[in-house]
Amino acid sequence: MNVVTADLTRRFGRTVAVAGVTLDAGPGVVGLLGPNGAGKTSLLRVLATVIPPSSGRIRLLGQDPGSYRQRRQIRRRLGYVPQNLGFYPGFTVVEFVEYFALLKEVPPAVVHRAVASAVERVDLGDKAKAKLRTLSGGMLRRVGIAQAIVNEPELLLLDEPTAGLDPEQRVAFRALLRDLGQRATVIVSTHLVEDVGAACGRVSLMDKGRIVFQGTPDELTARGEGTAAAGDAPLERGYSAVLAAARS
Amino acid sequence: MSDAGDVDLDRVWVGVAAEVWRRRPGPVERLAGRLLRSPGLARALVTTPSLLLGWVVATGVVLLAGVLATVETGTPYVALLAPALAAAGIAYAYGPGIDPAWELSCSVAVSDRLVLLVRALAVFGLNATLGVLASAASGAAAAVTFGWLLPMTAVCALALAVATVARSANVGVAAGVASWVIVILVGQASTGRISAAVTTSVLWLPYLTFACCCAATVLYATRIPRGTP
Repeated sequence: MNVVTADLTRRFGRTVAVAGVTLDAGPGVVGLLGPNGAGKTSLLRVLATVIPPSSGRIRLLGQDPGSYRQRRQIRRRLGYVPQNLGFYPGFTVVEFVEYFALLKEVPPAVVHRAVASAVERVDLGDKAKAKLRTLSGGMLRRVGIAQAIVNEPELLLLDEPTAGLDPEQRVAFRALLRDLGQRATVIVSTHLVEDVGAACGRVSLMDKGRIVFQGTPDELTARGEGTAAAGDAPLERGYSAVLAAARS
Repeated sequence: MSDAGDVDLDRVWVGVAAEVWRRRPGPVERLAGRLLRSPGLARALVTTPSLLLGWVVATGVVLLAGVLATVETGTPYVALLAPALAAAGIAYAYGPGIDPAWELSCSVAVSDRLVLLVRALAVFGLNATLGVLASAASGAAAAVTFGWLLPMTAVCALALAVATVARSANVGVAAGVASWVIVILVGQASTGRISAAVTTSVLWLPYLTFACCCAATVLYATRIPRGTP
């Protein structure tokens, strides 16, 4: 298992953002669903080693992120796209991706090839030398994804990665996710239930800091069958039914 | 010879693109890479906001004005300006709000604490060098070199500590500059000389002690969090 957490909690003052999450994930794509404020972003930030947990146990890629040496090992094998991804407007696409490749300690001998490969995989080859300030929101999102995959990560954490992508780009991105998920553990936080249905082998649904459902998209769909849960698609009805049950 | 049909064109294209898009690091980055033994750290260093050309030029212009004022009035304005300028540079070296991709840089292998340390040292070193040059140009280098260097260390350490704890460069700059202004005014009020803050040798030990306390605060604030019990 690449991600193992047990009773993981993260507090910000009196607010409990992540409340006792137990989660195991091996290779494949896991969709992390939930309403706003459910704790998805906080959980991803803990998994990305950006913030430490307040309590609970966590192992990533078989290592303990609480240890400096092991955390550094984890980070070399980690890809992360935060919800609010900042950019250096004066950098070109290649410079930005290369910067993070170097910070991830990708061996210098392979950096240029790794950067070119990542940029091509997100279909930004024709914008490789463009300054980031000239790119659209969707293109910037793809730059963020390129930096996340430049080190061929074994654990890829994506927070709302499809925000700003047009339908064609989202279809291409889902294909990329499925491809990446064959070798790596990919955890995707999203509001878009259709992304989960199309790209994820497993789903975890969070509400109020807790995981209230874990299973396959089909199993989530089944939860909505025969109920009056709101939703235009079967998966959305399953989502609504699970949330309603968790809150009742 | 291989059959043309066996050629993986995607792989070939990535190799071509890698060469075409390859960015040659400048001499400073190459030197930093060799000294720091980390290309990532070297790139992080050359992207320091307060080491960019515009910032350095602005610092030079302010110090030049200080040199002219010092020569004209005999008051060591360079020595009074240098700590405040350095404090601003240090506070704007690294952190949330300064680095647009701060969140991302907290998830990479190169330690953010190391980036902070390298950038702070580089900014301090550059400002100290500019300050020495400005002091020399104003004809007061020998007399006030230690006089302003120690307060500069203390004010920089304060700006860095406050910026780190408050996670705001602006708050760090405000704390550093305000405290330095207060020290100057208190020195003037008690001795009648505006230069007392940089010429009173009895203040050296307190400056040094204060700088050490602030450095300890930075180290504590950026300590490696023990995440799992």
